[in-house]
Amino acid sequence: MTTLLRTVSTRLSIHAHRRVRGALEGEYTSVFHGRSTEFDDLRPYVPGDELKDIDWKATARVGAPMTRRYIASRKHTVMLVTDTGRGMAAIAAGGESKRDIGIAAAGTLAYLATRHGDLVGLVTGDADHTDYRRPESTDAHLERILQLMHHRTTLDSGASDLTRQLRYVARSFRRRMILLVIADDRPLGDAETALLRRLSVQHEVLWLTVGDADPMREEWERDRVYDVADGAALPPYLRSDPRLRAAFTAATADRSDNATRALDSLGISSQRIERTADVMPALFRLLEVHKHARR
Amino acid sequence: MELILWWMPPALAIAAAIVVLLQLRARRTRRADTAEPRPIAHSDRLTALPEYRSAMRRYRGLLAAVTAAAGILAIAAALLASRPAAVSVQQPELATRDIVLCLDVSGSMVEYDAELVRVFGELTEQFTGERIALVVFNASAVTYFPLTNDYEYVQEQFDTVTDQFTNGEDAYFDGTFFGEGSSLVGDGLAACSLRFDAPDDDRSRSIILATDNLVVGDPIFTLTEAGQVAADRGIHVYGVNPGDTASRDYVEELAREFRTVVDATGGAYYSLDEPDAIESIVASITSEQATIVTGSPRLQLADQPAVPLAIAFFGLAGLMVLAWRVQR
Repeated sequence: MTTLLRTVSTRLSIHAHRRVRGALEGEYTSVFHGRSTEFDDLRPYVPGDELKDIDWKATARVGAPMTRRYIASRKHTVMLVTDTGRGMAAIAAGGESKRDIGIAAAGTLAYLATRHGDLVGLVTGDADHTDYRRPESTDAHLERILQLMHHRTTLDSGASDLTRQLRYVARSFRRRMILLVIADDRPLGDAETALLRRLSVQHEVLWLTVGDADPMREEWERDRVYDVADGAALPPYLRSDPRLRAAFTAATADRSDNATRALDSLGISSQRIERTADVMPALFRLLEVHKHARR
Repeated sequence: MELILWWMPPALAIAAAIVVLLQLRARRTRRADTAEPRPIAHSDRLTALPEYRSAMRRYRGLLAAVTAAAGILAIAAALLASRPAAVSVQQPELATRDIVLCLDVSGSMVEYDAELVRVFGELTEQFTGERIALVVFNASAVTYFPLTNDYEYVQEQFDTVTDQFTNGEDAYFDGTFFGEGSSLVGDGLAACSLRFDAPDDDRSRSIILATDNLVVGDPIFTLTEAGQVAADRGIHVYGVNPGDTASRDYVEELAREFRTVVDATGGAYYSLDEPDAIESIVASITSEQATIVTGSPRLQLADQPAVPLAIAFFGLAGLMVLAWRVQR
């Protein structure tokens, strides 16, 4: 079986020569492990490492920048908060399935976390029920949770309602965790904003938005475009209306600006991705932004 | 207005219903492979826009117009298919008449003959399908022209014969003297009775026989025998007798014979003093014929496709324009 986890790790190694992988690891380390006090070992510097972690004496000795690594004082828990409703089975702005992009993002961060000995758990589900997988750090566990996301998210799944999963997280966990929320272009309501304010106090919240497809795409003119929520088709006549097109473009830009602003005001770092290729740069920026936002 | 194929609209409705049902059934399976499904989420990003609602209103209006045009086209087409026709009740009467003018051209009769020809000349202008022939006789009968509905020709011949009557030229009685005597009425009537072609056709046959029945000589047919010949062929003989007047009672016996013969054929007998009276006599002959030849009324159906055709055309034009607008 081609495993979802292998897909993720393969993608990471393909990107290794572009230094993105190293940078991403460095970011992850500096964001979540940089503050530990117990020295572990030295390793070559990778971009993204905290400058203050560079061991200048060792650097002088070796002739290349070396970074000090510290043993984590305790294992972190990364909780993936995702959506297996049918909204996530829809098409993303880049043309892929939103589910696959979500899995790629979740898998990448989870993989990085387990490489650092952190635990990865999963809270997922739809409007009708929520699934919880307790945090573990084995590859088999990662594979299982990715498979769970993959199989649960179909066009026949229940309606999407990520608020339910967020509420579950708020209700169920006492300890501090790293939350990676993988959402889509849903509007943030007042109830949800309050919920996020409450969550961002307790946890470190990273927000990844998987952008929804534009229903007015020209190359879909002959296709049957329908909303997964209710199955209602959008008539081609309306999708090709130029006035509507202009209004939609403006409204979409507004909407994503508003969402970013709302998350910013809560102190939650967020990134929007449209395709699988966006996943690693977006995670990198997300960690980068998060690192600075925390100060 | 009547539909010739009255069963066509319900038949078409049933056929249309079957087609629609089959289409609906086929659609579910077909849709999957023709139009690629594109599931998207949060279409409210689009549908919540006021511009979407106004575009939707326009779309609905267009669809309603398309439906209306298609409906009009369908109804008009169904109407056309069922052949709308104008119904008229046709009396198969005067138009199927065959009339032979059988004129005695002995000297005393010419004045009356001219008047008869004049009156029939006027009557011919109203003819629609009637056929008329002119036979003149004295000692023998001559067909001036045979049964025809070429009214232009008839008029021409009437004009010629009228000229000949009034000028006293002899051409009109050419060929009428082969025989023993003159005014051989029996022979004349028998000859006229044989002028009807197409004996099997369902037409009314009548002879207008103008004579004073003053027979001189030895005819082959007596008047009574000739009347029998006419009656055998289903011919009504209408007799016009200028000689039958009180002032000339020496012909009373002849007039009585004439009347008896004519009545026996189902025709009518008219006596007169003045040529002017002929017009009224012809009118009464015509009306009497009408009562005789009136058969059972026939329904005449004439297709009237113009109106539904025009409606169907506009329906189709509208449908094409609107469908193009929707497709665009």
